This record gives sequence, C-alpha cells and structure tokens, in this order.
Amino acid sequence: MGGPLEGLRVVELAEGVAGPYCAQELSDAGASVIKVEKPGGDRTRGWGSRKRGDVGVAFLAANRGKRGVALDPDSEAGAEVLRKLIAGADIVIADAGWSAAAGLQYESLGELNPQLVYCRFSEYGKAGPWADQPPYGELVAQLAGDGTGSLGAIGQPPVRMATDIAGMYAAIYAVMSICAAVYARDESGGQRIDVSLFGSILAMRSTLWVALSNPDEWWGFHLDSYIKPPDTGYHCKDGAIYFSLARTSPEQREELYRELGMEWVEGDPLFELVNIDTGGGGGRYSHLARPVWERALANFTTDEAIEITRRYGGWAYPKNDYEALVAEEQAQHVGVIETVEQPGVGALRQVAPPWDFEGTPAAIQGPAPQLGEHNAAVLAEAGYSEAEIARLRSEGVLAG
Amino acid sequence: MSNGPLDGVRVFDLTMWMVGPWCSVQLGALGAEVIHIEQPDVDWSTLGAGVPPLINGTSVGYITWNMNKRGLSLGMKSPEDRAVAYELLKTSDVFLINMTPGVADRLGVGYDVVSEINPQIVYCAITGWGESGPMALLPGADTPAQYVTGFSTGTGAPEGDDEINRHFTQMDATSGNYAAQAILMGLLARKRTGKGQRIHVSMLRAGSALQSVRIGEYLASGHQPQRLGSGSQNTAPDRAYVCADGEVLGLSVTSEDEWWGFCEVIGQPELAADPRFGVNADRVDNREELDGLLEPILAGMVRDYWLMHLNRAGVPVGYPMTWAELRHHAQVLENDYIVPVETAAWGPVWTGGPPWQLSETPARMFSPPMPGEHSQEILADLQQQRAASEQPAAAREA
Repeated sequence: MGGPLEGLRVVELAEGVAGPYCAQELSDAGASVIKVEKPGGDRTRGWGSRKRGDVGVAFLAANRGKRGVALDPDSEAGAEVLRKLIAGADIVIADAGWSAAAGLQYESLGELNPQLVYCRFSEYGKAGPWADQPPYGELVAQLAGDGTGSLGAIGQPPVRMATDIAGMYAAIYAVMSICAAVYARDESGGQRIDVSLFGSILAMRSTLWVALSNPDEWWGFHLDSYIKPPDTGYHCKDGAIYFSLARTSPEQREELYRELGMEWVEGDPLFELVNIDTGGGGGRYSHLARPVWERALANFTTDEAIEITRRYGGWAYPKNDYEALVAEEQAQHVGVIETVEQPGVGALRQVAPPWDFEGTPAAIQGPAPQLGEHNAAVLAEAGYSEAEIARLRSEGVLAG
Repeated sequence: MSNGPLDGVRVFDLTMWMVGPWCSVQLGALGAEVIHIEQPDVDWSTLGAGVPPLINGTSVGYITWNMNKRGLSLGMKSPEDRAVAYELLKTSDVFLINMTPGVADRLGVGYDVVSEINPQIVYCAITGWGESGPMALLPGADTPAQYVTGFSTGTGAPEGDDEINRHFTQMDATSGNYAAQAILMGLLARKRTGKGQRIHVSMLRAGSALQSVRIGEYLASGHQPQRLGSGSQNTAPDRAYVCADGEVLGLSVTSEDEWWGFCEVIGQPELAADPRFGVNADRVDNREELDGLLEPILAGMVRDYWLMHLNRAGVPVGYPMTWAELRHHAQVLENDYIVPVETAAWGPVWTGGPPWQLSETPARMFSPPMPGEHSQEILADLQQQRAASEQPAAAREA
C-alpha cells in the first residue's frame, strides 16, 4: 500500500523553499511530482557555500522524491509542454512570477483542466499594494509579519529565525488547503488557492493578535514574551536547559533548593521573585529570577540539573543544537532522521516526513533530481516522440 | 455560498491546551463541523484556570485555539457521557486527541475501540515525543519542543547565545498544522480505499520537519548554523540594513538575477563582475567584505527610496511592522490576513485570518464556543437520530 496521496499527479512550477517543500510533502505522502525548472535551475541549487558540494543542500532537502524536467517556460514550445503536463495533472504548485507565459495563468489552465487544483505562492498575498510578488523573501516575511518582539532585544538590530519559518509555514499551510480542495473536487470542481509567506506567518501568530485585541491587563506569557529580553535558556555548567516548576508544590521546591545547594536563596533580595516565578521563561518575572537560578545551576551539568528537576516534579529539557538533536536517544527512537541515496553525493541524511499513517504509510520516494534528469521520460509519457524530444533539446527548449 | 471544502466532515475533537485545538481550528476554518469536547476540570486553558493574558476572564489561549468549533461538555470518565461519545463517534469522520500515550485507552477511546464503533474514522493522535521510547511519557509543550528540536540553533545576535523564540506557540501550531495535513491526507486515502486508519504525529518529529532545510544542511556539511543576527545562513546579501533615516530595511538577494538587479539599483554594476561576489557561494564566503561595502551605500538613502527601487528590480524588500501598523495595513486588510471575529463573551477580537484564499470554497473564521455551549443542541440531534433509526424501515421510507 502506497502513501495516502497515491495516484495524485503534481506539477511544480516553483523554486526557493515554499513551493518545493510543499511539493516534497505531497511526494512523501505518495503523490507523483514532476518538478519543472527553468534552464538556470532552481535558485536553491546555488545556495550555501560551494564548499558543501556542487548542489546546494537546500535544494536536496526540499526536492527529494520528484522527477525533474528543465525547460524554457517562456518559449512557445516550452509552454506547450507545460500545458500538456498540466492537462494530465491533479495539482499545480506555482510561484507568482515564475513564468510570464500567458498560457500558464490559472484562468486559462482552468479551461484546460477543470478539475485542476492550482496553488499559487506569493510573498505578500494576491491583493493589496504589494500583490503577487514572488515568494522568495524569507527575511522580509519574518520582519513584516513578526509584529516585532519574539526575537532579539528591543531597540537593537532585528534577529531572524535561523530556519526558514516563513517559507515553511506557507508550504505547510498550502498542503492543507490543497488536500482540502482535492477532497472537495467532486462537488466544487477545480479551483485556485493563494498562499503567501506574509499571510502564513501572520496566521501562525494568531494568539498574539488575540492577546493584543483587548486584554484585561498587560501580562501573561503572550504579552510578556513580546517585551522581554532574549531568552537563551537556563545556563548550567556545560550548556543550557529548559526549566519549569509550574506544577511543583512548595514542599517540592524546598527540597529542590536544598538539592541544588541554594541555601543562600532565602537571603537573596530576589528570593520573593524566585519563589513566585515558575521558570520556563514564560513567567512574569522569569527574566529577573533567572540569574538567581543560574547561580545555583552553574554547579551542575545539564544532565544533573535535568535529573534533579524532574525528580522534584519540575519540567526540564536540554537546549539542543542540531548535533545534540540528532544524538538524542528519543529522536533516534522515533526516526527523526532518514537516509536517502543521492547520486553524486552518496548517503545523505535528511529529516523524515512527520506523519505515521498506519494504513497508508508515507515514505521518501527517492533523491532530488538532477537538472532535466527526467526530460525524456516525462515528455514521452506526455506523448512526445523521440524525434520531437531531440528537436526540443537542440532548439534549447529543454535544458539539463 | 460554500461552507468550505470540508463541508460535511465531522470532527470529534478530544483535545486540550494548544497543539490539538490548533489543529482542529484549521479543520473548522476549512469547513468541517468540529465538536470540541470540554471535559470538566481538565482543560487548563478554559475559563476558570485560564493562563493570562485574559479577556473578560478567559485565557486568550482558549479563545484563539477554539475558533470555528461547537462546544460539547462530556466527562469521558462517566459511563453515561462515554455512551454519548460513542454515539457521536458513529457519525464522525475524524477523531482527534492530544494526550500522553495511554490516556486515550484509559478514557475508553483507544483506536481499537473507536475503529470498532466506526471503521471509516480517521483517527489522529498527537503526542509530544512519540508513543514509545525514553521520553514518551514526559509532558510535551511548545517551549520544550523548541529546546529539544534545536529550534534556537543559529538564531540570535552574533555576540549572544542561541535564542528561543519568545512567542511560545510556534512548535504547537506547527505540530497542529502537520497533524491537520495528515488528517486531510487520511480523508483522501479513505475516498480511495474505503477505510479509516490510525495516524500519529509527534511534536518532536513535526518540529524537526519544520527545520528540514536547515537540519539537512547541518547533516550534509557537519556545520551548525551560526548566529548572524538578521543574516541568512546560505544567501547574501540577505539581511537587514539601516537606511539614512535610521529605518530598518530587510532585503533578500537569493538568485543571480536579483544580484545583478540589486547592483544596478545601488549604482555599482561593477560589483556584479567582482570575483569576490560573482555568484552566491562567493558572496556567502565573503559576506563580511560585502557588508563592509553595502552598509554605507544603503545608509546613504532613506528606506522608501530603497523599497521603491529594489521592488522594481525584483528584489524582495520589506521592513519590521508592529501590531499598530499591521492592524491597519492595506496588505493585511485586502487579503484578510488579520480579521476581527465577533464573539458574544469577549467582544470583537482580532486573529490571523485563514492563510488560504480558495476561489470556490472559501475558508472561514467564527467565534469559539463557551465550553459546552452547544451541548443541548448536539444531544437533541443525537436523540432525533436515535429515534429515526429506531423506527421500522417501512415507516422511514413512507
């Protein structure tokens, strides 16, 4: 039994993070994906320093399990190839501005394939003064949609999330709406969906917008965190931990003070704050009480501090970097990482798809394609003869 | 007017806190009928034990994470209420739970029980760390998931330490969204196979999947992301710069076309031919030199100038916006990205609008229920159903 989306055919006219990761998720879930690149290739092929190999790893991490076609969409013959592929597709994933070819806009594709679900990614949305811009501005969406205040220090230069949250959020939301539209297709026919990086990051911050609507008073972790200094964890001897005593009793805390050698704490001028703060970084006074805790935690390794905290009913977790995540026993147990055999690179470790389907298991379908790797096979399936394919190649319509 | 693409899908929503409730908010936005089960004295996010900030005494968490739902109070530990749950499950398409492994069984709603009641049901369990393994029984929540999945890796000012995202909802919402995907995929698979199935999503794997590209880069290269402030790990120039008016401009050059356009706009076409900056990999390697050249140039004009000209050159540009600005911004309003939702108990509140614009089956947002608000209605419907099914077939046909 294949994945839950087995049988669905996807054509991807996208690059960067959002569209490609969206299509990769559909592939992991069993759909058959044809990725179409322009002759210069997806921009992510050139991301990162060249010391990491010939192809940017960002490309390999967002394009596995797809077949690759490379062509010039703005040539008449290239657009014709795309129309044939799209006529046989269930889903098209397209970036705003990916191609100027008029025949590739949804309005004409809808006639070609009335059951088509067409999802278009843009930076800021389909309407408004910044409508329909290409969706490649990760930082831009983070800055504009962040509402400020979840990273960095107030009044200091902005800080971005190191991972591509805006592109990924948009991709993740897009997969939901695409599946929903396919679900409804028998009754409502095909349709166009618009998703943007900006809109997705705003949706992900809904709790903050509600908190800012009309709160009874300005406190509580949504509002507090929005004005607090950077949160880098509770530092121990050899690293930092997450630490929360929200569910502990006064007796447990007494014991914890003793175990951590904090007899001095009752004489500390901040004792009152320490005693009402529950740690975790979300407490009203956690940033003030933190140095007191850290004075004690400095005598313990992270492993010791976690063990002691848990023993007295608190929550404690290590602050992992990626090396520590991959080494984490639980991560290995649940299979966070899988290996893909990537031609030209070898065994490549990647993050596994996040769902367990007991009836229709998801699975990585294979490596990322080389530029134009499947030109001949895909065009032959679309009805092109060998001679026609050779002609398209010699005319520069096909690339790779 | 369509009710959304999931019109006719019923979700039995046995969820609490954020990750599960957030998942079913999405299903509700897409048109599903979500029945949120509120268990007496269990849901910490509800009215009494609300986590602040509060609006009219209710946690904003409850308000945000229960939009687009109907409310039903059921004590899953009481036999009578459990019988009602089972009856409701017969006509449900989706069962959703986010509790520590083992709790569903103790509440009588493990997969074996539920699938026997309704073999077509798409059953989704969300956990913090997985259903087995050394961490399986530890509590899961947003901040712990950030810590364990390395979400802070490389985030922060260069001189500081890796920063946690202080808006402590991103891992919850991400995991809820991945679970919503899985449920939708399960519904699609059911159309093909005629069968329901059990699905599981953990915050550990979902939170890691969100970082697929960055973790993939680490695994391939062995280099952890570095703290670059607003700078990108893999493209340059791609960061925030200060303009002549002191305003912050964010720009992202992520392709060679954009680089050439950018060099034209800043009046330095020869930079595009400079071997230190020829292609992106060179610019990443020589990031500091590049910034040394760009900082004074970008500080030479006001932000509006750069926004206009870089925008015309196809370079993504933007700037940080606060709530006060977002709340009224044409780009937000014209796309319904932040919308007012009228509620009876809490007045109008603003929340993120549905992030999708679906041309034929639009999504929606509506007020969360008071806990148990629709209990009577739902129970009356069930009673009617029961009465109808108890009539002899001949009478029904007549």
